[in-house]
Amino acid sequence: MRENLLFRDKEIAFLRELTRNKVPFMVVGLSAAALQGAPMVTQDVDLWFRNIDHPGIRKALKKLDGVLVPPLGLNPPMFAGDHVDCFDIVLTVHGVKSFDEEIKGACEVSMGKFTIKVLPLDRVIASKTFLNRQKDRMALPALRSAKKALSQ
Amino acid sequence: MRISSEKLRTLCRDRRIQLKDLLKEAGVSRTAYYSLTRKESVLPKSVCRVAQQLGVSPSLFLVEEDEAVRRIRVLQARTGEICRRHPGCDRDVVFRTLLNLDSTPVERLRKALSRARKPAIQG
Repeated sequence: MRENLLFRDKEIAFLRELTRNKVPFMVVGLSAAALQGAPMVTQDVDLWFRNIDHPGIRKALKKLDGVLVPPLGLNPPMFAGDHVDCFDIVLTVHGVKSFDEEIKGACEVSMGKFTIKVLPLDRVIASKTFLNRQKDRMALPALRSAKKALSQ
Repeated sequence: MRISSEKLRTLCRDRRIQLKDLLKEAGVSRTAYYSLTRKESVLPKSVCRVAQQLGVSPSLFLVEEDEAVRRIRVLQARTGEICRRHPGCDRDVVFRTLLNLDSTPVERLRKALSRARKPAIQG
């Protein structure tokens, strides 16, 4: 198993570089839920960007020897490189409001020496409820139970 | 050492739970509980005799359970409380969520990612 699969210093460094370069982004999906405490399982860390052309993204990628793979046909844009390929680029989150509205209510989660914005658990639930794919339906009961536990 | 009903009721009040619900959750019958509250000592007689022989209180040689065990017990109690209030909740998820709160966000994320990458768990 490659080292970067376990989210080590380099992956954290990428988030730090995005923050340092003032890139507007937030963590969404099950990674967002996990960061807040929900015991979820996920393959990737979904990062919702306001604008994928923000120059800070390229700067952050350069620092971590990563590159941006532009979209092609049905293939969405992606990050490539050992320390950034666990991150998925998200440009639209269904079932919630716009990026600018959601980021106002985003949670600040500590990554040690810096913080990142994370979509709150109830908004993750709203998105999964809207999408209603099989994998969303499977995750929803656990997300709702975690929400109850966290709201106590 | 005996049970202080008053202290127990205060603890129940703090946790917003009724004594009867606590007993039900703990699997202790009301009869057993009231029988215990009437006892001079809830400790086994042999323990009391050893203490008497030494002329000390049993508390001097009894130790608390391990800190990790105690932490789990606290979380289990909180889990029970939450699941009582929200009967639709998954007990295991609630417990794991509370347990996760002891970890940093980065550790939580690592756990989520590493579990997903284990083929046996992914099925």
